[in-house]
Parts: sequence; C-alpha cells; structure tokens
Amino acid sequence: MKKTLFVLAGVLVVASMLLAACQPKPTPTPTAAPATEAPTQAPTEAPTQPAAGKVQIRWFVGLGTGTNPDQVAVQEEVVKDFNASQDKIELVLEVVPYDSARDTLSTEIASGNGPDIVGPVGWGGTNFFYGQWLDLAPLIQETGYDVSQFDPGLVKAQVTTEGQLGLPFAVFPAAVYYVPKMFDEAGLNYPPAKYGDKYVMPDGTEKPWDWNTVAEIARLLTLDANGKNATEAGFDRNSIVQVGYVPQWQHAMHMAGFWGAGAADFFDADHNAIIPEPAKQAWTWYFNGIWGDQPFIANGALAGSPEFGAGNVFNAGKAAMAVTHFWYTCCLADFKNAGNEFQLGVLPANPNDGKVHGRVDADTFRIWKGTQHPKEAFEVLTYLVGPAVKKLAPTYGALPARAEDQQPFLDAKSADYPFVKSWQPLLDGLAYPDVPSAEGWMPNLNEAWNRIGAFGDLMANDGTIDLAQEIEKLRQDLDVIFKK
Amino acid sequence: MEELLRFRFRKVSLRKLSVKERREMKQGLAFISPWLIGFLAFTFLPMLATFVFTFLDMRITEGIFNPVRFVGLGNYKTLFQDMNIWRVPGVRINWTQPVVVNGETRQIFAPQVKMDPPGAMWVTIIFGLYALPVGIFLPLLLALLLNSRYLKGQAFFRSLFYMPYVIPFVASVFLWGGMLNPETGWINRFLMLLGVPKVALPQWANDVFWVYPTYVIMGIWGIGNAMLIMLAGLQNVPTELYDAAKVDGAGGWATFWKVTWPMISPVIFYNLILNVVGLFQYFLVPLVVNQGTGRPGGATYFYNLYLYKTFFLYQNMSYGATMAWALFVVILIVTIILFGTAKKWVYYASESA
Repeated sequence: MKKTLFVLAGVLVVASMLLAACQPKPTPTPTAAPATEAPTQAPTEAPTQPAAGKVQIRWFVGLGTGTNPDQVAVQEEVVKDFNASQDKIELVLEVVPYDSARDTLSTEIASGNGPDIVGPVGWGGTNFFYGQWLDLAPLIQETGYDVSQFDPGLVKAQVTTEGQLGLPFAVFPAAVYYVPKMFDEAGLNYPPAKYGDKYVMPDGTEKPWDWNTVAEIARLLTLDANGKNATEAGFDRNSIVQVGYVPQWQHAMHMAGFWGAGAADFFDADHNAIIPEPAKQAWTWYFNGIWGDQPFIANGALAGSPEFGAGNVFNAGKAAMAVTHFWYTCCLADFKNAGNEFQLGVLPANPNDGKVHGRVDADTFRIWKGTQHPKEAFEVLTYLVGPAVKKLAPTYGALPARAEDQQPFLDAKSADYPFVKSWQPLLDGLAYPDVPSAEGWMPNLNEAWNRIGAFGDLMANDGTIDLAQEIEKLRQDLDVIFKK
Repeated sequence: MEELLRFRFRKVSLRKLSVKERREMKQGLAFISPWLIGFLAFTFLPMLATFVFTFLDMRITEGIFNPVRFVGLGNYKTLFQDMNIWRVPGVRINWTQPVVVNGETRQIFAPQVKMDPPGAMWVTIIFGLYALPVGIFLPLLLALLLNSRYLKGQAFFRSLFYMPYVIPFVASVFLWGGMLNPETGWINRFLMLLGVPKVALPQWANDVFWVYPTYVIMGIWGIGNAMLIMLAGLQNVPTELYDAAKVDGAGGWATFWKVTWPMISPVIFYNLILNVVGLFQYFLVPLVVNQGTGRPGGATYFYNLYLYKTFFLYQNMSYGATMAWALFVVILIVTIILFGTAKKWVYYASESA
C-alpha cells in the first residue's frame, strides 16, 4: 500500500510539474510566445510565429498611457499601417493593463523574454527598469537618423548615464495654472505670461516673478470662511475655504526640481546621500506655506478632504494657482463643469539664483537592451516617434515633441477649453527642461522615492516637526538606501 | 465548529486497511486529485520557490543582465538586524497644550504624542493591544445584547449590525477617512460645535495618539461576521444549564462567567486565532488612509506593509520572501502558544464528557 501511495504521490508531482511546464516557455528571441499575462482591456493577439521571412518586433504597452480601448484601437491601426508599409518587419502589439504592467514586464525580462519596444513610458517607468534600456546613440549614428528635427534640449533630456535612451515623442511642459476670477476678487494682477516679465503688484511696483512673489500673492489669495485673507488680522487658519497655491500632484522630488535640484544631485560618486540646497529651499518654502503664520497651501488633511477635491484641489476650484504640467488638462472636468475658467502663466524663478528651473515630463519609447533585433526595433521606434505621432499623440493626450506636429493637438485642447486665451506659456516651458531630471535615476530608486515621498507626506501633515532635523533624518536614511 | 477547533493527529496504520478501504482511499485520492494538483502547482511549489529565494539575492527588474547570486543566510542576517522591523519605540507625551481663551493662556487637556519611529513588528504589536480586545469583546457584547430575551426586533438589529460587513472594506475606509478628516470631517465639526477648541480636536489618522483608535473605529464595521459567530455560539448553550444556575441562585454576572463564558470559549478562541492572524496581516487600512507612508511618526508602518513594499515596490524578491517566511514563523509560534494556553481556558463539552 505504501508503495502505491508513493507511486500516486509521484504521479501527482509529475502531473503538477507538467502543468507548470504547460505555460508559455520563455526564450530569449522575440519570436517567442506573447506576454504570459493576457491583457484585460481590448487585448491584442500576438501571433506566436512571425510571418514568413519577417522579423517580429514586439511592442509592449502598459507602463504609462495607452491601455484604454480607444487607445488600443488607434495603436492597432498604427501597427497595421506600419506592417503594410514594408516587408521586413512584423510589428506586434502587446497591451497589458497598467496595474500589472510592471510585474508582467519584470517577469518577461527576468525570463529573457522581454519585448523589443516598450512605451509610451515616462521616467518613472523607465527608471524602474534601470539598466534594461538600449543606448540608441550607435544606431542613430549608424543609420544617420536626423535628430535635428527635435528641440536639442529635448533630445538631451533623453540622455542619462546609460546613454541616449530615447528620442523625444510626447512632452508635458509645466506652467502656472491660475483662476483669473480669484485674482480679480483680490484686486491682483495676473501672473506674467512671458518668461522674463516681472510681476506687477497692485500698487504698481514690479517684482521678479519668483517663488517669493508667488508666496506673497498666494497669501492674499488664501481666504477663510469670513472672507479674510491670510495677511489680515483675525484670519482663521482653521476655516480656510480657498488657498492661494497648490503644488498639484507634485512629489517632493518634483518640488525640488522646480527649484533646480535633479535626482542626480542627491548622491555623489560613492553613493553618499546629499540633500542639495535647492531642495532644502523648495521644501522649506512649501512647509512654511502650509504651517507658517500666514498659510497659503492646504495641509494634507484639508487637501485630501472631499471639499477640496480629495487631492485634486485646483479642479475643485479651491486654489487660485497651481504649478503643474500639460497632462493636468486631463483632470479638470469638475472645474470646467462648474463654470470656472483658468489661464496660464509662466513658471517662477528660484529667488536665490534668479533662474527658472522648469520641468518637462516626457513620454517616449525605449528599446529593451536584450532585443535580438536592435536595428529593426530602432526602425519601428523611429516610425512611432515620426509618422505615427499624428495618430498616437492625440489618443495619448500628449503634446508632440516636434513643433510641426503640435498644432492639431493645441486645436483639440482649445476645443476642450475654449476660455484659455493662450497655450504659449506652456509651450514656452519646453525651453526649461529639468536637466538632470527630477525623475532621473538614483541608487535603489524605488525605495529612495518612497522615502522622499514619505517625507513630503510628513511635511504636508505634521506642522510640529523640526524641518531641518527631518531633512537631516531623510539624508541619513537615503544614505543607507543608496548604499544597499 | 468544535470539531474544527480540535486538531488531532491520528496515526493511521495503513496495514490495517481492508481491501475495500484501500480501494475507497484510492478513489478518494482520485477525486481530490484536481485539488491536489492545483495545490502543488499553485501553492506548494510557489511556497517552495519563495523559500529558495530567501537564500538568493534576486531583484527581478535586473533581469538577465545580473544573474541571481547565492547569499546563504545573508537575508536572514539582514532581517534580524533590520531596524525597520525591530526598532523599539520611544514615546514622549505632552498631556496638555496651551490655548488662549479671552486673552488668557490656559493649559487644557490635549495629549500630544511624539514617537520615534518604531519598527514594523512593534507597530503591529502595539496596534494589537488596541485592536484585539475590541475585536474579541465588542462582537461578544453585541451578540449578548442580540441574544437577550428582552430585546425586541432581534432580526432587525442582527441585520443592522451585520450590514456594514457587506460594504467593501476599501469603500468603508474611504468613508471613515472622510468622516474622521481632522479639517473637514463632520465628527470634528461636531466637536467644535460642542465647544472643543481646535487645538484639542483629535487629529485622528494624523496623530500618533489617535491613529490606532482611528483604525480600530474603522475596523468596527467589519465585526458583523464575528458577532454572528458569537451569536451562534451563544444560541448553542443548552438552556438547562441556565435553568440549573438559576435554581442554584446564580445572578446574571455569575451565570455569564460560570456558564456562558466556558460554553462559548471555543468560539472566542476561534475568533482570537482569526484576529491574531489578521493582525499580523494588517495592511489595507494604513495603505489607503495614510498612503502607506508610515505617517504619523512611523506609527502605521505595519510589518505586512513593509513586506508588501519590499516585494512589489522595491522588487526585492529575496528579502521580501525572507520577511514573508519570518511572518509565517511568527504567526505559527503565536498560534502554537495560543493553542497551548487553550487547555487552561477553553472548554470542550465533549472532551469533559
């Protein structure tokens, strides 16, 4: 009987192993089976074998935008167009839901079955897979690809310590979004619409358009339930109904970026942690804006309350100014439906060096370093950032990097927000990319970002902390994280 | 229920099985083989794999360019030295705060706690001191009330108390988050209407002193199930025992401790085990309410949250697996200890018979 049991158990183990073996077997060639995880939204079916005589190139979508059914349809159209255009390459679309995309791509890469092209992807998704991307510089040189069609600053912004990781595709410059009505009610002039212009105070004096000036007018725009602004006697900070400023969906690293500190400034060659001065300045400014005597930024609890839009404060019509990116036009439906209007101003300068330190978020496509067909993948990539832009950018809601492709996008935005007088302040923001990027690589990036995010959360929620002490604590923690 | 709680490992001598019994056993195994195969393929083998991971240095995003390294017990050494897990909390409490009333500064009772970030295991244990008594005794109290013969509309109240349990947990957490918002939540607004000064208002999930009570309050909506189990236990107590106690002149208090408590002790024990296991796996509320940051002062950086982040955010599969196995061992030890104590206070009628 014992023997029978052993045999039975053996059969079960073998059967379970067979079952496990039935999963798609990963191979290092791109001609292998598609992703192990099937997409749930409008899945695209990748053939397991390429068409005769063609090299199959797999295009992985999911780390950023591109997974909505309507977007998938457009992407499939682009794939069809590309495949019809030539006879050497067969492009295959692989769409994975955003929530599981990182895990799926990790698994594919770990098993040597990574896709050839990944995107659209921003710096967050890019750096999550640090070390996995192909340097395009040799291919650009070999094929003679013309990069002069792009703004040189945007091309440079795609260069990291690993090389030229991408070509500009979609860009999201930043600007000051403001509500003219709130400025009118406070008797204030609007933020400048042109870089280099000064801000004119109500008494006619001119001030440099920097973060100090932003704070000064933001205090006048912050109102309590009795209509008093933050500078007036009797202002009740416990009943704020409108704030002067919100760093709309900006991580503490982004705040530092707007003052001139990029991710690469947070560590030295030996991975010792450094808190750069601009970061300290940015965070001190932000902390005082919330907890200072004359607050002008909502604290975490207030900003997170339903009355203040559960974090989307500007959309809730509760903030007079917000510094954020072009992508934020995605999320202003409530604002618009309530009959509100916004206009755009230029980014303020760091008052300490007088320079504007902008930020340009960018989505593009990467080639996986393990691809067996780099040349073919590069050909597809240049197609995606070139001829396909006209179809892809509108569906992604992205501003094309090439100036010649931008007008249709701006027309669409103007149709959505007819009250916006000019998008130029946003377009001018393209001249101020963050180099080095605030979202750039740092050692043990995910843990480091998590720690810095927790610090930002602490600033927003606890006014009793000793900020200098907390910044030092952050440095010490980052030191440990960077050296892990 | 009682049977489920009474684990007994009987030695089955296969030689004693008859031919018929053997055939039946084979048939039984054949019938459960789909489950066995599923268990082996999707539970046992992955578990085994995670155990192997604990001896490796494996970061999945590094892919094929950085081969996996064998590190022996390195991950376990890191685990035992990880201050994020073991750091003993240091607590300072200011019981009063100054407040200006009619131009005069007064000290009012408004405790403010400052906590040096405790380790994740300590966070879990401290929270357990709040959550376990509530998780055990509140459902018992409600069940006792619902079981009272003086209560009218028992079915109505039973449904009423159970109703929040059917609400998706995340939804209820968001709801409570809104109600307990220190700035705009209606509970603080109400307290302000009652004249509580702003400085003395609870900061709920933003304050080390209040954050655990806040989480416990949010968890109260989930006690409907435990309440029903307790109620079922209470309704299974033979009425003759109560009659006998009455005849002996026992009052309500004595009846509860001498009759009710022993008779439902297996049910209480069952709930205790579930609560302890749930405590070590606690994670969703701090992730949603405090964005998984550990705020305030590291007080919400639960062990399971740290584990989750290590796995899925930092993608450190090896250390995450080590943490998971450590958690498994801790839960196992605590459970064994509880089973050990059960002999002293859990009463099984069938055993004594």
